[in-house]
Amino acid sequence: MAPGLAALALAGCSPAGEDAAFPSRAIEIVSWATPGGPTDLLSRALAEAAPPHFDGRRVTVMTRQGGAGAAGMQYLQGREGDPHVLGVFTASGTVNMATGRIPFSPGDFTPILRIQIDPFLVAVRDDSPFHTLGDLFEAAHARPGEVSVSGFGAASAHFLGFARLRAAADDPDVRWIAYEGSADAVVAALGGHTDAAHTNYNIVREHLRAGTMRVLGVALPVEALPETPSYAEQGYDLTPVHWRGVVGPPGLDPALRADLRARLTAAIEDPGFREYMEQAALEYATMADADAFGVWMAEEVATSRDMLRRLGILDE
Amino acid sequence: MSAFLDGLLTALQPGNLAALLAGSLLGVFAGAMPGLSSTVGLALVLPVTFALDPTPALLMMVSIYMAAEYGGSITAIAIGVPGSSPALATTFDGYAMTRRGEAGRALGISLFSSMSGGLLGTILLVVALGPLSRAAIAFGPAEYFGLGVFGLSIVANLVGKDPFKGIVSALLGLLFFIVGLDVLTGAPRLTFGTNALMDGLGLVPMLIGFFAIAEALAAVTGRRRSTPPGGGIAGALPKARELFGLWRTILRGSAIGGLIGAIPGAGATIASIVAWNEERRVSKTPERFGTGLPAGIAAPEAANNSCVGAAMIPLLALGIPGSASAAVLLGGLTVQGVAPGPLLMTERSELVYALYAGFVVAVLLMLAVGRLGIPLWTRVVRLRPSILMPLVVAISLVGTFSLRGNAADAWAALFFGLVGFAMLRGGYPLAPAVLGLILGPMIETNYRRALSLSSGSHSVFLESPISLVLLLLAAVSFAAPAVRSRLISGRGRAPEPDTHEPRREEHE
Repeated sequence: MAPGLAALALAGCSPAGEDAAFPSRAIEIVSWATPGGPTDLLSRALAEAAPPHFDGRRVTVMTRQGGAGAAGMQYLQGREGDPHVLGVFTASGTVNMATGRIPFSPGDFTPILRIQIDPFLVAVRDDSPFHTLGDLFEAAHARPGEVSVSGFGAASAHFLGFARLRAAADDPDVRWIAYEGSADAVVAALGGHTDAAHTNYNIVREHLRAGTMRVLGVALPVEALPETPSYAEQGYDLTPVHWRGVVGPPGLDPALRADLRARLTAAIEDPGFREYMEQAALEYATMADADAFGVWMAEEVATSRDMLRRLGILDE
Repeated sequence: MSAFLDGLLTALQPGNLAALLAGSLLGVFAGAMPGLSSTVGLALVLPVTFALDPTPALLMMVSIYMAAEYGGSITAIAIGVPGSSPALATTFDGYAMTRRGEAGRALGISLFSSMSGGLLGTILLVVALGPLSRAAIAFGPAEYFGLGVFGLSIVANLVGKDPFKGIVSALLGLLFFIVGLDVLTGAPRLTFGTNALMDGLGLVPMLIGFFAIAEALAAVTGRRRSTPPGGGIAGALPKARELFGLWRTILRGSAIGGLIGAIPGAGATIASIVAWNEERRVSKTPERFGTGLPAGIAAPEAANNSCVGAAMIPLLALGIPGSASAAVLLGGLTVQGVAPGPLLMTERSELVYALYAGFVVAVLLMLAVGRLGIPLWTRVVRLRPSILMPLVVAISLVGTFSLRGNAADAWAALFFGLVGFAMLRGGYPLAPAVLGLILGPMIETNYRRALSLSSGSHSVFLESPISLVLLLLAAVSFAAPAVRSRLISGRGRAPEPDTHEPRREEHE
């Protein structure tokens, strides 16, 4: 059905009939992430779990990649007021807003529900001389430019997560070696090409279990890593995390927004979805309400922008 | 061995066999459709696998991956458009053979070589999982740089009659790869402020533009004859003796595919081009490559299927996806609660053996599905160009769009179509530009990464034995055609300046 018709149907409904009108057709989740990657998997797991909570309507994932996510976001932004189109927003999205790589701001979407966080961590190969973050940074202070950390992307969420950690350690000259993906960055550390990798728990989980890698520090205490001290416990007062949550198009009616939040909250409690969260080693992190999620997104953009200015990547 | 037999019994259970067969059909289709690839095929079934048990889910995915690598060669041979990028090298000799009216023979050679490569790659996976996974992570920035330069040196063998035009084509490819976000700094390059160019110009739009659209334009304007003679031999399959006579070529191709395929990020496209080039190098008649030699099909097709088993090595042993398709597979495994990594073999050995056996069954199903399809494809070849080419262009553009659901990709394909048409008219070969686009990023980012790690010292490229050997091979490979033609022109007395193509009899 044409989007215009859906809008017409909504507009034509009396306020009392509004609840009955939604959902009036299938729900679309626009995915601008790499197929098979963590964000794409979240979209698909959600599409699996959602239908019973959306009156049995079909929920489909629609791929629209390109322009660092801008192609999919533009599509979502163009569906103003339509509660049938959703997207999964992530830390990469807010960083791309901060760098100006994508021409959007959090206000262009309606935040609905943050779902999960994926804390950053710093891992080394088992035979590394480093045992704490302090070891790594001390070595970098002693030998500027000779200690390297591999991670996903340049001016990316990973890059800024590590930049903030480094800033808290008095800016030692650690060389950031950017890779095309988080797994590639882990291979570089595993192969001894870099001294450490900045990544997420689920990427190195099997190597930690097998003892081929160790974690120097994790941004937030992770249940699965009770022995590993967090950044804060090592004296670095910050908690950079990767996060993912659902947003809608701009101009969503407050009642519909609350309705969507309730339905999605129920969907992510589904046993199938819980199992996915466990398998992927992710933590639930829904916030008090949808507005808090919006504030969080705006703060993420602001924090990233400050860091980019401090590093001289962004002027103004 | 008994573990493998148990795995085989698992793979042959009705439900699992059905999953393997469905994978084969879908894989051949996704591979053959220009624009679609094994990655797209895998992404399509990903939601379906959520509902399956881990074993059939995994088997369906490996079956798609395997069959798509053969499927890509179907369109490469039948219409000269690589169905997916690893089939690029197959167009060189495969399409030439079709133009001679031997489509059936070419498809038969491709299918047999794909099957053999698939089996050999699986054997490599089973026997060399541990050592090859350790070798794979030894590949650092300096080594990737060496591999990229070696790959690019193959341009020297693709330049055709006029080396100058070939080099211009390669440089064009290198120029196109610069477009997009710089991986190492995140800065946009040559995007002209548009968001659509942020992710760069993709390989698929280039392949579609060059090999479907530009060729269609050339056919329409009468520059090229895109249809083979309408004789009745197009469907004839190759003789068994011819197939088994290719065993050396298949072994070499599979070995190259197995080694390059195990290196994360190198991939089947590079492996198949390297295999084609290596076959040309060892041949007694290198100048005949590209004119429709069986070995020119067998080598790349054995290589790209052998890559499938090999790509599982870093995935299973380290949990590291070595290719875009392996990344989707990893996503599917994650959802199934199967975590590949150092402990997989001890904790889930029954699943790993079912996977090994599944590979063998998948290869045999691919053979059956592929064999049944050959009569159909040879009939497609006989369609009139005025009907066939518009169809090809339409299907290709839809495929390009569906890859990422992004219309910018279809526009990029049209752009490349015009560029390719202009190049064809001017006599510039297209393949060097494709090689430039594929290898440019590997060479540049790893060069800069290596220098960043060495604080700017270039000696890293010579200190790494792997990098040093690859760079030396590159020098030899780049210089060889020039040296050879120098030798030939020295032998044949004072050839006419414009008869660059030596007479064939001289070499036979």
